[in-house]
Amino acid sequence: MQGTEHSDFDIRDYLRTDLFPHFMCPGCGHGIALRALLWALHELDISMNNLALVSGIGCSGRTAAYVDTNTMHVTHGRPLAFATGLKLARPDLEVVVITGDGDCLAIGGNHLIHACRRNLDMTCVMLNNEVYGMTGGQVSPTTSNDRFTTTTPLGNHEPVFDACELATAAGASLVGREITLQTPSLKDLFKTALSHRGFSFVEVISDCTEIYGRKNDLGNSTEMILKQKSGIRPESYGNAVEHPFRPGDWKTGILTRVERPEYGDSYRQHIATKQRAVKTVTK
Amino acid sequence: MNSPLQSTVVAERRHSAPGESTAATNVLVVGVGGQGVIMISKVIALLCQQHRLQVKQSEVHGMAKRGGVVFSHVRFGEQVYSPTIPAGEADVVLALEWAEGLRWLKYLNPETGTFIVDTQQIVPPFACRNRKPGGLPGYDQLTVDQIRTRLPGILALDASGAATELGNPKAANTVLLGALSTALEFPAEGWQELIAGAVPARTVEINRQAFNMGREWALHPPTEAPRLDKSPPPASVQTLERSVHLEITDAWCKGCDICVKTCPERCLVLNAHQVVEITDPGACTGCRMCEWLCPDFAIRLHSSIPEPE
Repeated sequence: MQGTEHSDFDIRDYLRTDLFPHFMCPGCGHGIALRALLWALHELDISMNNLALVSGIGCSGRTAAYVDTNTMHVTHGRPLAFATGLKLARPDLEVVVITGDGDCLAIGGNHLIHACRRNLDMTCVMLNNEVYGMTGGQVSPTTSNDRFTTTTPLGNHEPVFDACELATAAGASLVGREITLQTPSLKDLFKTALSHRGFSFVEVISDCTEIYGRKNDLGNSTEMILKQKSGIRPESYGNAVEHPFRPGDWKTGILTRVERPEYGDSYRQHIATKQRAVKTVTK
Repeated sequence: MNSPLQSTVVAERRHSAPGESTAATNVLVVGVGGQGVIMISKVIALLCQQHRLQVKQSEVHGMAKRGGVVFSHVRFGEQVYSPTIPAGEADVVLALEWAEGLRWLKYLNPETGTFIVDTQQIVPPFACRNRKPGGLPGYDQLTVDQIRTRLPGILALDASGAATELGNPKAANTVLLGALSTALEFPAEGWQELIAGAVPARTVEINRQAFNMGREWALHPPTEAPRLDKSPPPASVQTLERSVHLEITDAWCKGCDICVKTCPERCLVLNAHQVVEITDPGACTGCRMCEWLCPDFAIRLHSSIPEPE
């Protein structure tokens, strides 16, 4: 038995308890995802002084503000850009980006692909609730087909973005997806992502009860959370059965894991070589 | 033609159906789905037909996929009217699982009946409803020796273990059939022939050995602690002294109902202020489902022993 099992993990040790109760709606899955993230940090024994949480705008962005650590609450869609700068300036920090589906894929889509391409050692947590919750419930790139939002009153007709496929294609070295209902699995995925050297991208399937669930008649928060389980296709099941699930199901688990040079290291190495070359020339 | 072993006793039975010239012999085969209950009753029925006896058989089947209860009534004699055996009138209860055997024991004729049982235990999921650490499972705790005080003639054998040693645990029903063949006086060759026809061709040899083993054991029960007479291990689990306590931060709870709906023990409710409350602290098993799924961090579980890794 390890010394850091769950029973000695009290999430309140990691929170700015004076700000509580938090602003999120009753039954919002973002809280569960935040618990899993802090639980993973606790089990990995990462000090809050060595952690930097960077978040954008939106419900997901607000979660970082409740953690008692170094936090940056930056412009909409740009947490990855700020985090890239932070990590290059302070490679000693453990940088974690908390972002949402609209923040990361629509407004910050450009930053996401370039962060994946560079493969800088940080963790990007994308809380996917299929909607822009805080700004009033507009359609997001991950909104499922035929769902109603304030900007799609006749149902969404756009194809759905698969964020994990995008991150894999753009070059992220660790990509995973998990639902909030399976909190211990989500914690384990976060642990893998945090320990991975390189850019890790974790998509958390969360729920938006008040804005999205109510408009689409998806039931209360419990029903929405329990339903997550029927919409996934865990990677660990393998290909034992050829077509075990519906084609539209989300794959969960660790989806991509490749070894690629980490950008921070190679960048510093490159600069050092160049500076040496310049010095020898000037001598 | 061979007459059944206990035909003299059977004829004296008071509850025989009116008009039955020779009362039927009743064999009740019980077990868990997939063990071969139907195969046993099929072999008995075919054997009786070969001996020109009338046979009626009725069964509950289809539970194989679910590990559910399967039973089969076999009645044979010169003339049989009803296909089902009344309680207390079975001449043989053949059980392929220990607790199933005990459950159907009330069907056995208390004076003259023979109880043949496999001592293997298959604990069903509903016996584990008590999820508290240290909770007793709902599986029958009686041992072979306790039953033997009531039924001295009990034939309790570890048929599954014997069949596993022979190389195929599925042959356990044939081991029991071998034991049963001593209770019904049909010649052994007839049994063998029918079993060979009822099992897949590649398992004929193993079933022949299994039948002989069961028959040999029933005819000459070993006197001292034989391999086949094994008392079932007690199904109880190690008792853990653990106290759990839920700490609820009322001010943080938003009454989203997730913990109330996902609690496996249903021991949480929302009170009049839409704040979660524990109704029965004794029912809480400390599974932490509520703590993990609370989006508002309002629940903290304190447990006196650490979680196993």
